[in-house]
Amino acid sequence: MTGLIADFSADREAFSVPWGKAMMWIFLLSDTFVFGCFLIGYMAVRIAAVEPWPPTSEVFALTIAGHSIPLVLIAIMTFILITSSGTMAMAVNYGYQKKRKKAALLMLLTAVLGLTFVGMQAFEWTKLIEDGVRPWENPWGAAQFGAVFFMVTGFHGLHVSIGVIYLTIVALKVLRGHYERKGYEIIEITGLYWHFVDLVWVFIFAFFYLW
Amino acid sequence: MAFAVVLVILVLGSVLFHFLSPWNMTPLASNWGSIDVTMLITLVITAVVFIAVNFFIAYAVIKFRHTPERKAEYEPENKKLEWWLTLGTSVGIIAMLAPGLIVYADFVNVPDDAHQIEVVGQQWSWSFRFPGQDGQLGKSAIEHISTDNSFGVDPLDEAGQDDRLLTSNTLILPVNRPVKLSLRSKDVLHNFYVPNFRVKMDSVPGQVSYQWFTPTRTGDFEILCAEYCGIGHFNMRGYIKVVEQQEYEQWLADLPTFAQSLMSEASEALSVKAKQGQEVAQKKGCMACHGFEESPAGPSWLGLYGANRTFKDSTELIADDDYLREAIVEPGATIVKGYAPIMPKLELSELEVDAVIAFIKERGNRDSDAGAQTMQKNPAEQSKSGAELAQSKGCTACHSVDGSRLVGPSWQGLYNSERSLASGETVLADDAYLKESLFKPNAKVVAGYPPVMPPSQLSSAQADALIEYIKTL
Amino acid sequence: MTAQEHHSPQSFWTKYIWSQDHKVIAIQYSLTAIFVGLIALVLSTLMRLQLGFPGSFDFIDASAYYQYVTMHGMIMVVYLLTAIFLGGFGNYLIPLMVGARDMVFPFVNMLSYWFYLLAVVVLLASFFVTGGPTGAGWTLYPPQAILPGTPGSDGGIILMLISLGIFIIAATMGGLNYVTTVLQARTRGMTLMRMPLTIWGIFMATILALLAFPALFVSAIMMLFDKLLSTSFFMPAILSMGEQLGHEGGSPILFQHLFWFFGHPEVYIVALPAFGIVSDLISVHARKNIFGYRMMVWAIVVIGVLSFVVWAHHMYVSGMNPYFGYFFATTTLIIAVPTAIKVYNWVLTLWQGNIRMTVPMLFALGFVSTFTIGGLTGLFLGNVVVDLPLSDTYFVVAHFHMVMGVSPVLVIFGAIYHWYPKMTGKMLHDGLGKFHFWTTFIGTYTIFFPMHYLGVLGVPRRYYAYENYDFIPESAKDLNAFITIAAIFVALAQLVFLFNLAWSYFKGRAAGSNPWQATTLEWQTETTPPGHGNWGESIPECHRWAYDYSVPGYEQDYLPQNQPGEANA
Repeated sequence: MTGLIADFSADREAFSVPWGKAMMWIFLLSDTFVFGCFLIGYMAVRIAAVEPWPPTSEVFALTIAGHSIPLVLIAIMTFILITSSGTMAMAVNYGYQKKRKKAALLMLLTAVLGLTFVGMQAFEWTKLIEDGVRPWENPWGAAQFGAVFFMVTGFHGLHVSIGVIYLTIVALKVLRGHYERKGYEIIEITGLYWHFVDLVWVFIFAFFYLW
Repeated sequence: MAFAVVLVILVLGSVLFHFLSPWNMTPLASNWGSIDVTMLITLVITAVVFIAVNFFIAYAVIKFRHTPERKAEYEPENKKLEWWLTLGTSVGIIAMLAPGLIVYADFVNVPDDAHQIEVVGQQWSWSFRFPGQDGQLGKSAIEHISTDNSFGVDPLDEAGQDDRLLTSNTLILPVNRPVKLSLRSKDVLHNFYVPNFRVKMDSVPGQVSYQWFTPTRTGDFEILCAEYCGIGHFNMRGYIKVVEQQEYEQWLADLPTFAQSLMSEASEALSVKAKQGQEVAQKKGCMACHGFEESPAGPSWLGLYGANRTFKDSTELIADDDYLREAIVEPGATIVKGYAPIMPKLELSELEVDAVIAFIKERGNRDSDAGAQTMQKNPAEQSKSGAELAQSKGCTACHSVDGSRLVGPSWQGLYNSERSLASGETVLADDAYLKESLFKPNAKVVAGYPPVMPPSQLSSAQADALIEYIKTL
Repeated sequence: MTAQEHHSPQSFWTKYIWSQDHKVIAIQYSLTAIFVGLIALVLSTLMRLQLGFPGSFDFIDASAYYQYVTMHGMIMVVYLLTAIFLGGFGNYLIPLMVGARDMVFPFVNMLSYWFYLLAVVVLLASFFVTGGPTGAGWTLYPPQAILPGTPGSDGGIILMLISLGIFIIAATMGGLNYVTTVLQARTRGMTLMRMPLTIWGIFMATILALLAFPALFVSAIMMLFDKLLSTSFFMPAILSMGEQLGHEGGSPILFQHLFWFFGHPEVYIVALPAFGIVSDLISVHARKNIFGYRMMVWAIVVIGVLSFVVWAHHMYVSGMNPYFGYFFATTTLIIAVPTAIKVYNWVLTLWQGNIRMTVPMLFALGFVSTFTIGGLTGLFLGNVVVDLPLSDTYFVVAHFHMVMGVSPVLVIFGAIYHWYPKMTGKMLHDGLGKFHFWTTFIGTYTIFFPMHYLGVLGVPRRYYAYENYDFIPESAKDLNAFITIAAIFVALAQLVFLFNLAWSYFKGRAAGSNPWQATTLEWQTETTPPGHGNWGESIPECHRWAYDYSVPGYEQDYLPQNQPGEANA
């Protein structure tokens, strides 16, 4: 409590963080509200839907070697994204240790994992579209299923893609030594964004795919 | 100084305005006088604050105007004063909120003895439905709505058969009986509001909302739509007539029931009932064996109704309603000669059987004289003049009769005039054109007008009456 | 902490167009906002012409009328008020008042303006598409907003939704700057509790914006999907023009919840900066500290937080679960308490003050008076059962114009008269200012006060015409005509203000650096208008709170915040 008061009664700055970090936190708070509204909208639509909601375990199943395995693609995608958060955290660490090359490499690895995620998401979209899922109808149940799916995963995928580009740009700048003088907080700031994207995925996974 | 004076004048002027203004709440005609009282409490409390704050400013601005010799006081805060002001304000707030929520509770809880009426809003008119003797409204859905079933009542729901339908925009209500209005909408948000009754509520497509009130005196009142619903919103009129109970009952008894409406003149090839029968026949698989062209396994339905049937045991019978009914529910009882006894026993409700029989009757005898029905018409509805129809069906919401331009073209001088269409061509507004415009309004849109007219819900005779009326303008 | 190195811009383009200087961006925002605001003012005059003299103007048919209503509303609320308070005043005053050289991310700040301009262009483009701009009402309720019974339901609504999306991106970029600068870039000695209330108001409003705009963003995306991709977020099974549409299962009320979750904080996004600014105007011009500064800060924060739990008071008659009415009526009436406290504190500041009736002071007091009545009528509407007869009538229109259209606009005017000398080095002409004040204050009062009574009578809003309604007396038509005349008069009077802005820039009296003898840091700059980097060689240090006026024991009746010595707060 005293820490809270000390923060807010301080002159100059309320939190001992660089400006960029404070701004990223606040942006993520705002973006949380965006995804929160998407998910709450989804829940309201699902409750109000007249027809039964398609069973996600069947819709998102892949047939491998003659066996239909439910949600396997999603599981792999989740694993990839969580791993990428791990590589990101390592990059932040190396950044503060001023180990430029390692940090940049790990960031690029994170970006590659992110790209893989987006690729798999694109594959899933293609598969569902082939199966007949559209924003306005699908073969299995409530029409809103497709609408919510494309909207929520679309916006999430957009955020991941932006993250991949952001990661790549910063990683290359790190390699070139751009941040030698300024300091490596930028990697942590990028990391914040990346962890946020991962966390949003966990919620989408829980509320849309599992429920 | 000038500011203080102006402020005092504005305040005094406002108070004077309040007492002198001719614009007050419409005379109360329902039980919701408690709302008026709550509003008065709110007015008194807020008026006190309004006057006090403004007078304080006026006083301060004079008393403490700038003089170079004096210095302002330096008082960052006064905890005690601020605490008292907070307390006082809270008391004032509670004094308004408490009565407000108590009266609101009355609104939320509909009295047990309230009778129910359904109000259906659409762009841009009102219609009404009454539960019949069974006290229950039949189920309804948008998918059932057609020209002949404008309320979308489910033809297979028992409870809906005796519902009474009112497609005009004038509702009659009995005085001193609480009524719960169930509100529905066919298209967009509307809001049913009668200023004299005080309460209002949106009608939301996709759900049913409600409001309740008790009319406390007889009289004529206006219904207003109070939720923006497109360009006809401002003219979406209706009327309420509050009468004595007896008059209400008599009027209600004259309204057509849903069951009757199913049999009345159909604007399409099959009546609603027969159409429903067609659906049932397809769903239950009848058409797999019976048809109107080919009939692979069972007797053809073409010309079946009213025809002579010879059975396996060589007896003969006319295929009337009773025979058909038995043939459907007890397929093995009488087998037609030349056919195998393979018809399965089906689960059909009585209404479904009625519907299938209507389908067999109408579709099977379409081109023959035997099939021509004398239609049961509601005499009161059918004899309405064109002028009355124009009002009650909501046409005058968008078309004027005096030449003024509303949402749609005026009817004055319309008949046999030349019309420039949006497509560029010119047409003569003759009988054929008018009739087409009634049922297919967006086929030929007049230039300069938006294509927003919904198709009319009229019988052919009613359309003719309306056209006769338009001719007189 | 990484400090951005500021290199003074050299060319015309980098100085005035692609500028990253918060002061230039502020002026860009303000001029653009005033420009669209004037368009909206013309639209409102056209609306009033139809209401006061129905049928007199052929070109104002029902379609056009509803398009005017919609565009007037949306432009005023979002593109004028929000943009000018946050993008205009926020940008100009925050770095100056907290003692910073600029915003924390000037590049993003600059981008925010260009996105705002793009949003305005897209919005105005909707006037030129087939069908014209949307006529769905500024609240854009589905299903009607995307159905053919409403004007502009094709290109018009699509462009509107896209424009809002772009605006939200702009507001987020700007908002991040304002919040981060206030939290992290204050000068030495400038604690949060020494900041002027102007900053508190804008700061809180920006936080609201960052958390409320997401709901509008989501509802806009969902409505675009419903329109363009035939999804059914908000669209249940319905008929349109006799045809059954393919939608099923959507909920129009979901839109309303999302929209008002944004919409209610939005009105506080407009009101809170006005609250903050008015506190400072009264304080400076009465030569007295604002009464109860800590309570004022507390009230701003509490109002901001509570503004997120009152939204469904806009939905009492929407057909939502009626039990929600109990909850929202309670929270709405609770929020009245901190708001009332602010009103008391403003007038108590005048008590024992040394009041100069300057033009800014006139406008500030005009705010207090009109905001009081506007806020009080809100109590009628917030009390759910009293709202039943008043909802969707002219009572609501009168209420929200008083609290959004009259009072904050009076503050904008007062603030411009107050800070114009700092921005330009010239005083605005005093006589013209007083004329502007009297016509606007008395004029808007005569427009909106009587309007409440039309609402009490039951006259619904969003009606193109009121012919042949028995319950509306003839006298109401005369009242409408009177209100129209008053509105035209007030609209024309604004030309005097515009003239004053332009004329004084060239011919105004020289202002000096601190003509009002105010304590806050923006008046203590070396040059007026402040140069690049605001403070010259070194940033000022803050030694006291913002309200050391008429401090006992000092000759001068004010102590600037950067004046060393014993601090009182």
